[in-house]
Amino acid sequence: MKQKNGNVYFYVYKTQILKSLAYKFDVYGNIIMQTIIMIATAFFWKALFRNATMVKGVTVDTMMTYTVISSMLSVVLTTGVERRITDSVQKGTIAIDMMRPVNLFKVFFAENLGTVTALFFQNLLPIFLIGSLFIKLPTPSGLPELLLFLLSLLLAFFINWYLSVIFGMWAFSIIQMDALIQVKKHLIRLLSGSMIPLWFFPEWLRSILECLPFAYIYQMPLTIYVGQYTKESLVRGLLVQTIWVVVLFTIFRFMEKRVTDKVMIQGG
Amino acid sequence: MIEIKHLSKEYHVVKKEEGFKGALKSLVTRESRVIAAVQDLNFHIKPGEIVGFIGPNGAGKSTTIKMMSGILTPTFGEILIAGKDITKHRKEVVQNIGVVFGQRSQLNWDLRLGESFELLRHIYQIDKKQYEETLDVLDEILGVRELIDKPVRQMSLGQRVKGDLVAAMLHSPKVLFLDEPTIGLDVGSKYALRKFVKEINEKRGTTVILTTHDLGDIEQLCDRIIIINHGKLVEDGNLDAIVDRIAPFKTLVVEYFDDQIIPSALGELIETNGNIAKYKFLKHETTAAKIIEELSAKAQIKDISIEEAGIDDIIRIAYTGDCRTQNTYGIHW
Repeated sequence: MKQKNGNVYFYVYKTQILKSLAYKFDVYGNIIMQTIIMIATAFFWKALFRNATMVKGVTVDTMMTYTVISSMLSVVLTTGVERRITDSVQKGTIAIDMMRPVNLFKVFFAENLGTVTALFFQNLLPIFLIGSLFIKLPTPSGLPELLLFLLSLLLAFFINWYLSVIFGMWAFSIIQMDALIQVKKHLIRLLSGSMIPLWFFPEWLRSILECLPFAYIYQMPLTIYVGQYTKESLVRGLLVQTIWVVVLFTIFRFMEKRVTDKVMIQGG
Repeated sequence: MIEIKHLSKEYHVVKKEEGFKGALKSLVTRESRVIAAVQDLNFHIKPGEIVGFIGPNGAGKSTTIKMMSGILTPTFGEILIAGKDITKHRKEVVQNIGVVFGQRSQLNWDLRLGESFELLRHIYQIDKKQYEETLDVLDEILGVRELIDKPVRQMSLGQRVKGDLVAAMLHSPKVLFLDEPTIGLDVGSKYALRKFVKEINEKRGTTVILTTHDLGDIEQLCDRIIIINHGKLVEDGNLDAIVDRIAPFKTLVVEYFDDQIIPSALGELIETNGNIAKYKFLKHETTAAKIIEELSAKAQIKDISIEEAGIDDIIRIAYTGDCRTQNTYGIHW
C-alpha cells in the first residue's frame, strides 16, 4: 500500500513547524530586533514629515502603515534556504539530505514554509500587535487593495524564494559564503523598498530598480496595500512580477541538476 | 546485488583565499585542480554478503560509499544496485538502500527519536502496519523503543548510533552501507552494533558493506574484504585467503633457559630480547614443530608460543604499498 508522494513534503512541513517551535529564545530575539527596526523607521519618517503633510504625494499616515506592514512582510519573506544549504554543505550533512528518495529543493521549500508558518504566530502576530499599539493600526486602503496585495505577496514570496535558492546554490561550490549572505540580505533591504520606498529614490535609480526583481519583493505588494498606484502602474507591476517569477523559476530549474552533481561532501 | 564498473570520481578542488575578499574573489575567478578520489574501481557484491571496505584515511572509501548510496555522482563508470543504475534511477534505487554514517546522524537533533522515525516513514512511504512490525523486529535486537520519546540531542553517542541503525533499516532496504559505524563507541555499543549487523544479515538477508578502521569489526563480521588505497583497488577477496597470500608466515616465539640464542636453519631469527627469540617462517614450507625440534636439539627451551599474521599485518602491508609487487618475506617488522 503506497501513499501519495505529496504527503512526504507535507510531513516535512509539519516536522519543520515542530522544529521551529523548539527554539523559543530565537523567537524573542527576533521580535525585539524587528520591533527596534520598525520603531526606529517610524520615528525616522515622523521626523522627516514634521514640516510637510505630504512628500511626493505620500502622507505620514501612509508611511506608518508602510512601515508596520513592511516589518510584518519581512517575517513572511524570511528564507533560511541559503543558510540551510551552507550549513549542510559545511557540516557535510548535505549527504543525509541527498541520500533520501525525495527532491532536495522541494524538501527545502517545505521546510521554509514550515518555518514561515511557525514564524507567523511567533513573530508576525506579535509585531502586528506592537506596531498597531505603538505606531498605527495598519489598515489597507480598501478590500480590492487587500486582495490584490495578497496576490502580489504570493508572487513576491516566489521571487524571494527562487532568488534565495539560486543564490544558495553557490554554497554547493563556494562553501564559505557567510559574508555573501549578509551582502545579499542588505542589498535586498536597500533595493527592495523594504525600508525606503522607491518613490523617494532619484528618478534614474528608480527606473533601474523597477527592472530588477528586488522591488517586486517588498515595494510592489506594499504599494498596493497603501493604495499608492495608478491602474496602469498596477497592471505593469503585476506583469513584471509574474515575468520575474517565470524567469527565476527557469534559472532555478536549469541550475538544479548541475549543482547537485557537483556537490562535494565535507569531512570524510 | 551491487555491481561496480570502472567507477571513478574526480573532484575539482578550488584554491580558496580567506575571508570576505576571498569569498568575493572566488565568485569572479577560481583556480581549481583536479583530484582523482576514486580510480577505475570494479567489483561485484552478491546478495547476503558482508563486505568490509577498508583503506587508510583519504583512500576513497567514503567517496565510494557516497556514490553507491546515490549522494555523489560518479565522474565515470556505472553503479548497479539490484540491477538498476543508481545515477539514472536515484529515487527508485535508494528505496533499497540504508546508510549509516558514524560521524553524522540522520536523526533530527531538535526532535524526539520517534518523530525522526515518523518523518522517515513518510519519506520512504512505509505503511504504518509494516513500520510497526519492522520496528518490533529491530527493537528486539537493539532495544530502541525505550528511547523513542527521548530528544535526540539528549542521547549518548551509543544511543544515537542505535537510533541511526534503526532509521537506516526502517524501510527494510536490501543493502545497508555503514560508514565507520563503530567510531567512538564503547565496547558494549560496539558489541550491540556487530550483533545487529549479524542478525539483520542472517534474518533478513541484508547485504552489508561497511568501512571501518576497527579490525575487530572486520574479524567478527566480514567474510570478504576489499582494500583500497589512493582510490584504487588493492585487494579483494576472502579474508583468510588474503592473509594467507600476503602474509604467508607465522612467528615462533621461543623462551630459552639461558641467554644463549641459537639461529635456525628453517626460520629467520628476527628479534631477540634477553632469553626470548622470535623466528619467522613460511607456513607452507615448514612447521613450528620442526623448528622446535631443531632448536631443542641444541639448547634447552623453557616456553614457546606462536604468533599468526593477523589482519592488522595485512592492512599495514596493504596500506604501505601494493602488496602484490612486494616480496612479502622481505618485509621488516
